[in-house]
Amino acid sequence: MDQVLTIKKSTEAGLIDLLTYLLKNKKVSGVCSLRKTKKQGKFDYALITDPELLHDVVPLHPLMPVNAGKMLSNMIKMEMPVAAVIKPCELRSFIELVKRSQGKLENFLLISYTCGGALPLTATVENKVDTMLPDYGKTVAAGNEFEHIREICKACEYFVPFNADATVSLLGETGADSTCKIFLHSDKAKEILQGFEVEKTEDEFDRTGYDQIRERRKKYKEELFKQIKIQDTGLDGMIDVFGRCIGCHACSRVCPICYCVLCDFESSTYDYDNTIMEQELSRKGGLRLPSDTILYQIGRLSHMSFSCIGCGQCTEVCPSDIPVSVIFRKCGEKVAEIFEYIPGRDVNEQVPVTIFKEEEFEEIGEE
Amino acid sequence: MTSDFTPKIVSFLCKWCTYSGADLAGTSRMKYPPSILPIRVMCSSRVNPVFLVKSFFHGADGVLIGGCHPGDCHYQSGNYHTRRRFIILSKIFECLGLESERLKLAWISAAEGARFVKVTTEFTQKIKNMGENPAKRKIFI
Amino acid sequence: MKKIQTKGVKISSNKDYRDSIVDILKKMLQSKSVDAVLVPMRVPAKDSYAWILVKDEKLLTEADPAAPIMPIQGARALSSFSRKGQSMLKIAALMRPCEIRATIELSKLNQVNLENVTLISYDCPGALPMEDYLNDPEKGEKKFNDILKKLDFQNKSIKPVCKICDQFSLLPVSDLHFTLFHDQNNTMFLIANSNRGNLVLKEIGMEASHTVSAWANGIQEIKDKRAAQKKGRFTQIKKMVEGFNSLLATFSDCIGCHNCQSACPICYCRQCYFDSESVTSGTDLTMLKAKKRGSISLPQNRIMFQVGRMSHMSLSCVSCGLCTDACPVSIPVAEIFSYVAHNTQKQFSYSSGENKGEPIPLKTFKLEEVKGIQELVEDAEA
Repeated sequence: MDQVLTIKKSTEAGLIDLLTYLLKNKKVSGVCSLRKTKKQGKFDYALITDPELLHDVVPLHPLMPVNAGKMLSNMIKMEMPVAAVIKPCELRSFIELVKRSQGKLENFLLISYTCGGALPLTATVENKVDTMLPDYGKTVAAGNEFEHIREICKACEYFVPFNADATVSLLGETGADSTCKIFLHSDKAKEILQGFEVEKTEDEFDRTGYDQIRERRKKYKEELFKQIKIQDTGLDGMIDVFGRCIGCHACSRVCPICYCVLCDFESSTYDYDNTIMEQELSRKGGLRLPSDTILYQIGRLSHMSFSCIGCGQCTEVCPSDIPVSVIFRKCGEKVAEIFEYIPGRDVNEQVPVTIFKEEEFEEIGEE
Repeated sequence: MTSDFTPKIVSFLCKWCTYSGADLAGTSRMKYPPSILPIRVMCSSRVNPVFLVKSFFHGADGVLIGGCHPGDCHYQSGNYHTRRRFIILSKIFECLGLESERLKLAWISAAEGARFVKVTTEFTQKIKNMGENPAKRKIFI
Repeated sequence: MKKIQTKGVKISSNKDYRDSIVDILKKMLQSKSVDAVLVPMRVPAKDSYAWILVKDEKLLTEADPAAPIMPIQGARALSSFSRKGQSMLKIAALMRPCEIRATIELSKLNQVNLENVTLISYDCPGALPMEDYLNDPEKGEKKFNDILKKLDFQNKSIKPVCKICDQFSLLPVSDLHFTLFHDQNNTMFLIANSNRGNLVLKEIGMEASHTVSAWANGIQEIKDKRAAQKKGRFTQIKKMVEGFNSLLATFSDCIGCHNCQSACPICYCRQCYFDSESVTSGTDLTMLKAKKRGSISLPQNRIMFQVGRMSHMSLSCVSCGLCTDACPVSIPVAEIFSYVAHNTQKQFSYSSGENKGEPIPLKTFKLEEVKGIQELVEDAEA
């Protein structure tokens, strides 16, 4: 049974009250949330320890300048937990990182929300966030799709958070403007918020209530995947899609799952001697420099695609506008399916490449 | 489409099993195709999936990984990992339309010289039917 | 001071500049003057360009010597081939002047071996911003063709950092140079600017016998215009970044993705210093900082990265503009770094990429050269 907190304020205001309570009463050592910066219309993530500074936070803004999961993974040594308000996909990426020993769950009180999608980076760059927000709020409260969210968000069926200590109800919550509803799932959350004096009831958080939205998202996903025709066009198709890749590796750098400080593909393994390149040049008559453009993409797919949670940061930062997130999600899902794996669903569900069963796939290798 | 070329099949063979099996085929005067370019590894799990991609992009018509039968790995669990990695890479090739049939994983023990001949002969014929690897000539790769 | 070239080889005026240049490159391959040529080539999907090292002359017909965009810095492409030591192959690299200057800087940093490399420059009218080109590649192609046809070296569509570039033509370090800009009917010249360049001309059976003074005067006129534009633009840039508040406001969108560093030809470090443990604090420090100030922005060290990168590479910055192209939040990184680089280089009377033998100021010193700080501040050009 979940404990439901009902606060007679707008959802954002109610959540800020909760965060203020936590910080003022030293229930947490800090709050990690999106907030307004000094420049009008600009936002970033912040770690806040002074409760007076909480008035600037905008925890439920549909923005993702960086994937918060990546940031939480950098916080290892903590005396007391930090309350973090993050999106379902960011939470899933954090779980994936925890599985890889890149983060500690005990360090956080994880508050997430039912997500209506994130706006692209350009919304912040072009200062359009404040003008878009009222429409966004209304659309999401009605359970509809806001047209300006990221394409990959429109294809996301995991908008209800897994593993959150608490979930703020936002999507389809028609009364979001005047009532804040927060579901506390874990004992940790219930204990920490014991002294928080608001209306508390017992109820079960109904995941099935979002089935209609889920179906809509799944349908869009199929459409989006179909648009990237690489399955049918083979190597030429790959070269068409990734031909304009400049090998900047920005996709990997912003990806929460790619945590390697020195990426294998940037290491000296791929620093060839002249003789090798000269041989290739002789064989083909022409050699692309720098080399290994497509190899890097396939290599990264083989390393992490099954853990791809579809946040879309890769597409946002690609200087060549390649739909990286769609390709990675598409391949990732197909691979994860083989092992019945869903990234970020369960921290005890181990990463498919790190484990094996003695009896599985018995046909492989025996023919 | 059958062609008359000799495919190049880069083969990563585990020392304890498949490589020894290949040796046995040789010493028993059994013929296997010259398309096989053997590379001896200590265990099939030494093979980084990216090796397969690299071979493929550098013009190998086929890539073969040879290891011990599951349960017989000299290092206990190496080949179980190989199996999973191979499946993941095959799936990715499939998703990207990259002829995943050019990649093969075969469990061949040190005593199975004949099996080595059979597998390599059949694989070579399959690659011949598929034709040359188109990646050989791609410059923008 | 290098002797100013006054003569060049006259190249037939009937063909498109691309075809003329490709013909000469073919001659170089045929005469074995070079074994391979590094040129840009349009990708099969026709939406970008890639650097291709060409050995087979048949492939050269696909080459586009002056591409409308610069997705990858030529110096980076060349460095990926010749970093590990002298190549046995003789290579000619046909690149934009800023790419050649970056190559020279990289050679000083041991990232490019220039033995057996012939550097060929051309009059560059600038490049189009990547974003604009990617939105409509066909339109971009047309725009750029127009620019070249009309010799419009003051076109509004080129990158902001190109508009203030006054090193877009023959460089002291060029071995050979194609004059795309010319004020007579489609006359293009090939100028040899070094012993190597002269040797190549000889090997392909050409002789520099035509005077190029008209071209040189035309180029000087544009250089003067660009220099004036640079001065004006730097005054604006100075306002954007002068003072802590302005600096923070200008970089407020920065998400710390380090694209600028990845795209920059000079930033060759496998692991950027600002990603190393020296800079990225452990949690105990993060919490400490947050407690002390009441809050800290995450990810940390974004401004530190920018200013730090300036301190590391501004002496070698060639103002190529790839950083702005790569920035996902449209910060005018190139113009800012160009402004800073102009001032830091000025302190040592150093011009990046101008002279192969001149060491980067940070790698050397003179016994007497420190100016007073006040003078340094006053010197920062408005």
